[in-house]
Amino acid sequence: MTPKNRFWIFAGLSILATNLILLGAVVMFLRDLTSEESAVLIQIISNHAGYLFVGVILIIAAQGLVLDAIFHNYIIPLSKIADETVLINSVNPSHRIKVEGGGDIKQLVQAINDGADRYEDLFRNVRQKINRARAEADNEKNIMAVFMSELPQGVLICNAEGRILLYNRRAGDFLSGSGDWSETEPGGREKLVGLGRSIFDVVDRNLIRHALNEIDEKLKQNETDIVSLFVIAGHDKTIRVETVPILDQARRFKGFLLILFDITNELESENRVGFILQELIRDIRSSIAGVRSAVEAILEYPEMEERRRKCFNEIIHKETLSLSETVNRVAGEYYDHFKTQWPLTPMPDYGLLQMIARRIREKLEIAVDIDSAEETRWVKVDSYSMTMAVLFLLNELKKETGAAHFSCTILPAGRFVNFDFSWRGDPVKTDALRKWKSKMIMIRNEGLPLSIRDVAGHHSAEIWCFVSRESGLPCVRLSLPVSESETTGIRRNITILPQSKMEFYDFDLFDQPGRISELDDSLLTDLTYTVFDTETTGLDPKTDEIIAIGAVRIVNGNLLRNEIFDHLVDPRRDVPIDSIRIHGVKPDMLEGKPTIDKVLPLFHQFAEGTVMVAHNAAFDMRMLEEKEAETGIRFINPVLDTLLLAAVVHSVHERHDIETLAERLGINVTARHTALGDAISTGETLLKLIPLLAAKGIGTLKEARAASRKTLYAKLKY
Amino acid sequence: MSHKILIVDDEPNIVVPIQFLMEQNGYSTMTAASGEEAIEIIPKFFPDLILLDIMLPGMDGFEVCEIIRLNPDWRAIKIIFLTAKGREADKARGLVLGADAYISKPFSNARVVNKVRELLSPPENQI
Repeated sequence: MTPKNRFWIFAGLSILATNLILLGAVVMFLRDLTSEESAVLIQIISNHAGYLFVGVILIIAAQGLVLDAIFHNYIIPLSKIADETVLINSVNPSHRIKVEGGGDIKQLVQAINDGADRYEDLFRNVRQKINRARAEADNEKNIMAVFMSELPQGVLICNAEGRILLYNRRAGDFLSGSGDWSETEPGGREKLVGLGRSIFDVVDRNLIRHALNEIDEKLKQNETDIVSLFVIAGHDKTIRVETVPILDQARRFKGFLLILFDITNELESENRVGFILQELIRDIRSSIAGVRSAVEAILEYPEMEERRRKCFNEIIHKETLSLSETVNRVAGEYYDHFKTQWPLTPMPDYGLLQMIARRIREKLEIAVDIDSAEETRWVKVDSYSMTMAVLFLLNELKKETGAAHFSCTILPAGRFVNFDFSWRGDPVKTDALRKWKSKMIMIRNEGLPLSIRDVAGHHSAEIWCFVSRESGLPCVRLSLPVSESETTGIRRNITILPQSKMEFYDFDLFDQPGRISELDDSLLTDLTYTVFDTETTGLDPKTDEIIAIGAVRIVNGNLLRNEIFDHLVDPRRDVPIDSIRIHGVKPDMLEGKPTIDKVLPLFHQFAEGTVMVAHNAAFDMRMLEEKEAETGIRFINPVLDTLLLAAVVHSVHERHDIETLAERLGINVTARHTALGDAISTGETLLKLIPLLAAKGIGTLKEARAASRKTLYAKLKY
Repeated sequence: MSHKILIVDDEPNIVVPIQFLMEQNGYSTMTAASGEEAIEIIPKFFPDLILLDIMLPGMDGFEVCEIIRLNPDWRAIKIIFLTAKGREADKARGLVLGADAYISKPFSNARVVNKVRELLSPPENQI
């Protein structure tokens, strides 16, 4: 029963009681009269019935007015005050009550607000202290986060049921190709790594079970080396997985750690070398067999006829030729293979030249000027050895010719980039250059155990001297092959220390039982949510289309800003101007975006096993349902609606739109009306509503859904 | 009557010296350049011993060996693998299939001749 109904029932009953007493008094009074007196009274009444009637009406009206005034000045305000005081005391200490009402009410509001001020001060004080303490802890956490994310290995920690409590980005890359859902290409089923998700989605359950059994055996035997290995095919990679158990003090099994190593290259390399070697042995065996057999026959039978001896000689000649060829081929193959193992880093040609020039000025104290081509090309170099090689050469040159100034030019030449170093003075003699090329690189006290020839060889580079036809100046040319790829293959994420949030771990999941099955009786605080929002071309689910879906996950009461879903969708129809004003998505932003039949399966998978939450979920769910026939995707997840939950919590307030709600609950709305921005606001709203619902005795999913169903807004069906 | 030897190898540079060697030692010989050819020749030529390469075009030496051993009429034929496949596993496989000897390339002529002679002579006449 709402406060409004309660009040009016109470008011009605009291008026009824008062009037009954009055009526009783009148009846008693009439009974007490003699017949003459009552005749006179009736006479008087009937003569002045109009006045009496008006009097009675006036009295009733006055009673009504007074009651209404009381209702609006005291009863409604009191209800609101009660609700809003709960707000102040629970989720939003900076909320202040603004309620119109009687003088007493105003005093009460003032008193509560004063109290709230003091409470907030205190609250802020404590908060500050907590924050300071937390900042220190966060700092340490962040150092660990940076460390974890830059590890060349993937790391995953799971609880005993295989739910992921911690993972680094590399683990996500290895297993699912990309940990980032906003980058995921639609189409095809992706494997997912995420907090609270099951490891068995990405790694075969049997492999892990086998590894854990093995570990269990080792634990029983009290072995010290408790690790189990297996190899899996990850996302375009071969991964070696080491499984290590996590035990509590009582040596009970609490979970396990998976360390992932990318062994793709190692394997390829080993296989390649093995293959080259096997081929070599086979070819050599075969050729030598012919030669040896022929030679031994000649030696053993010196009197053999001329024709036959000639034939044997030919065999020997042919086989030795084929042997030479084999040796050359294998040497080439092996060298190519070796080269791919040498760590050369791509860098822009101009960058390399600048680096060399700077070192020339510093180290050799020679003036250098640089002239470059307009277009940047990429070369693969080990910049240290290459710089040292050039420096060494120019230093020798300076000693020989007395050159005191170099001009450097970059000249693209087909598949090569030429770095020319020219000087005024005598040209260098070819035999001098040959001598320098084979000497160990050494400049003053800095040296390498390599010669220029070695360095050039590693880079497939050539170095030679000539005199330029145009300028007539002597010149040393370094010719490097152009690299096709510009990337190193290694991605590093710059992590900014104190602010960055490490959301990819959640150790509170350690002690949670598998919970997907009994969602209904789960506490709202324990559930995993997918909070989402759609942007559409309009409000009619029959004709309008989805143009954006944004979603964020809530695991263990934490909104995970790293685990998001953010896709624009090509609606295959026009986008009305009116709707653009709301969501700001212009038609050209949707060009080339995937269509709903590509995006919806991804979203379905993203939301799998979670409770779906939206503000005014009836509309969003209706939009998704519209696509059921076309895509075959059905969302059977339990659904919660923050609009309905807000109405459950604050029944006297009339407005529950996102902005009003966010303001009431003290949430900063950042990116309103982008699907992802709204989803995040809705998620934060949900987190604030959960304790308020608990205060009303609504703790489980079942109870929340029952309460939602009862509220007035539930009647609004799309 | 001289013993008959079939040489199966697709490399003429091996076949020529070996054939010469065998003939110098008083054996009559035939050659085959593939497994299929060898299987065709056997019932006509009926060799006492086969020098068999493993890596042949088409049917390989292992298969040829298997076919010979499955035929009861050919049980007496001795088989020596002569091959560039020198791994222990290959050797083991060859012997399991019923070969009498396994000689990996390169080999000395004397070794082949001795092995052939040993397999074709009764034990008491062994050199």
